[in-house]
Amino acid sequence: MFGLPPETALLVFGFPVFWILYTIGFLYVSRRWRRESGDDSS
Amino acid sequence: MSVTVIAFLLLYYVAVLGIGYWAMRRGAGEDLEGYLLGGRKIGPMTTALTLQSTSMSGYMFLGAGGLGFAQGYWALWYAAGDIGGGVLNLSVIGRRMRKLSQMMGALTAIEYLEKRYPSPLVRLFGGTLTVFLLGFYALAQFIAGGKGMALVTGIPYPLALAIAVAVILVYTFMGGYLAVAYTDFFQSLVMLFGVLWIVVAALSELGGLTAANNAIGALDPTLLGVWGRDMGFEGQWGVVAGALLIFSVGYMGWPHVVTRHMAMTEPATARSAGVYATVWNLFFVPAPYLVGILAILILPVIEDPEMAIFQVAARLLPGAVTGLVMAAIMAAIMSTADSLLLQTGSIASRDLYERFINPEASEKQMVWVSRGLVCAIAAVGYLVALFEPPSVFGVVIFATSVLGSAFLPAYVCAVWWPKANTPGALTSMIAGASVSFIWELADLTATTEIAPMLAGVLASTVTMIVVSLATQRIAPVPEHIRVALGVAGSAGPIPAGYLAATDFALGPEAAEIAQAVNGNEQRHE
Repeated sequence: MFGLPPETALLVFGFPVFWILYTIGFLYVSRRWRRESGDDSS
Repeated sequence: MSVTVIAFLLLYYVAVLGIGYWAMRRGAGEDLEGYLLGGRKIGPMTTALTLQSTSMSGYMFLGAGGLGFAQGYWALWYAAGDIGGGVLNLSVIGRRMRKLSQMMGALTAIEYLEKRYPSPLVRLFGGTLTVFLLGFYALAQFIAGGKGMALVTGIPYPLALAIAVAVILVYTFMGGYLAVAYTDFFQSLVMLFGVLWIVVAALSELGGLTAANNAIGALDPTLLGVWGRDMGFEGQWGVVAGALLIFSVGYMGWPHVVTRHMAMTEPATARSAGVYATVWNLFFVPAPYLVGILAILILPVIEDPEMAIFQVAARLLPGAVTGLVMAAIMAAIMSTADSLLLQTGSIASRDLYERFINPEASEKQMVWVSRGLVCAIAAVGYLVALFEPPSVFGVVIFATSVLGSAFLPAYVCAVWWPKANTPGALTSMIAGASVSFIWELADLTATTEIAPMLAGVLASTVTMIVVSLATQRIAPVPEHIRVALGVAGSAGPIPAGYLAATDFALGPEAAEIAQAVNGNEQRHE
């Protein structure tokens, strides 16, 4: 991919995908936090 | 000397100073909580961007670019961890630390440690270590700013250095944390815009990423691999783990970064801030490394690899855009330097001066003591940067490795492990700092193939667990802290009784700490 060896492509694209999934997981796990203090939009 | 570049830089400095002035008009400097934590009124997007831009520093434009130029795609190991540093930090300790710091009335990251692990020694050791390391870290930013500005504008290095330090000082003085947070917000956008512009220009010059990689592979195929130039790091998983850890997990041990949690509007701010941090990191973090790698083709010969990004910008971009990119680079440097100076001054004044020298100091006095210390630290940093400037990469890696090693278990266990006690935290900080410091000094990475950060974090974590468990009977965690941990971990807002009972802590709190140390724990009910 993009002229890179497979292991380098995994390093370049795999870790960002992992962190995106982590962020989505964090959003799911913390979905009740908003209720602690009402508005979170400030 | 390019007049256009200087004009853009002046425009940028005026904008930054304007934001600082606006923050001052909002009353940020009126009391200590306002000066040190922006009155705990920082929303999710600003929290995310101040956390990220403070973490990134001039390292990203000098160290990261230089590393990419020297080692090729191996450098991306650092970026791989860094992309998740913000969300990891916010998700693991953000919400709980915001709650606990308010319940305990802590205004600095070191004061918070003493409230959680009651002992003056925690504050004395933590404060002294932090002042030394953050001062050292700020030095790297001065050097980066001076070198970069001197190269791009043609201004002599001493003058360029003086201008960068002066601007940072002026707006840090004006508004304290609020000025730092809002200028960081502005600067993070400038950084993102500037670095992406260089990436696009470099890729256009080289005919796209695939063509560039093919050309690099033809020069030296090992530059495309994950083990560095000439496979120099082949199989060194201890070094790779250190690269992954330092800017991901390591963030949680940096006092100037975890302060961002304490200043959030509310605990739930961490949730949205985590998302903003990841989005910003995905676009920003890999870019400087990539520009460094592409510079292998654009600048086949370069005297100082740390100047790779500056030289690529100067070579490929027109004058006006170079000025904009230069502003972005200065933004990265300044957004970290101002936070470092503010934190160093805050910790030195509140955690050392007020705590151990003048416990009766008024809040107004404290603000001015903090400003005086910031000025003194900047003056010393300027002189060192002028006469004996070390490498930016080396200074940043050293300071961040020791900070992360010393404080990571202390901050994480503070919110997650009720058995983490004072002897455990104190010995953990000493063990982590000592091991990573000795590892760096004796260059043990060369013989062990283990990075200082990994060795230090292992030492501090094991020490925290072993010593805390072994001393539970002789040094139990005070009851009011156990209760506070339960409240911080539970769903729902902080009970009103806790908030009312801890409001006093905005004033001098030495008496309460002394009581806790002597075994007369004061319950917050």
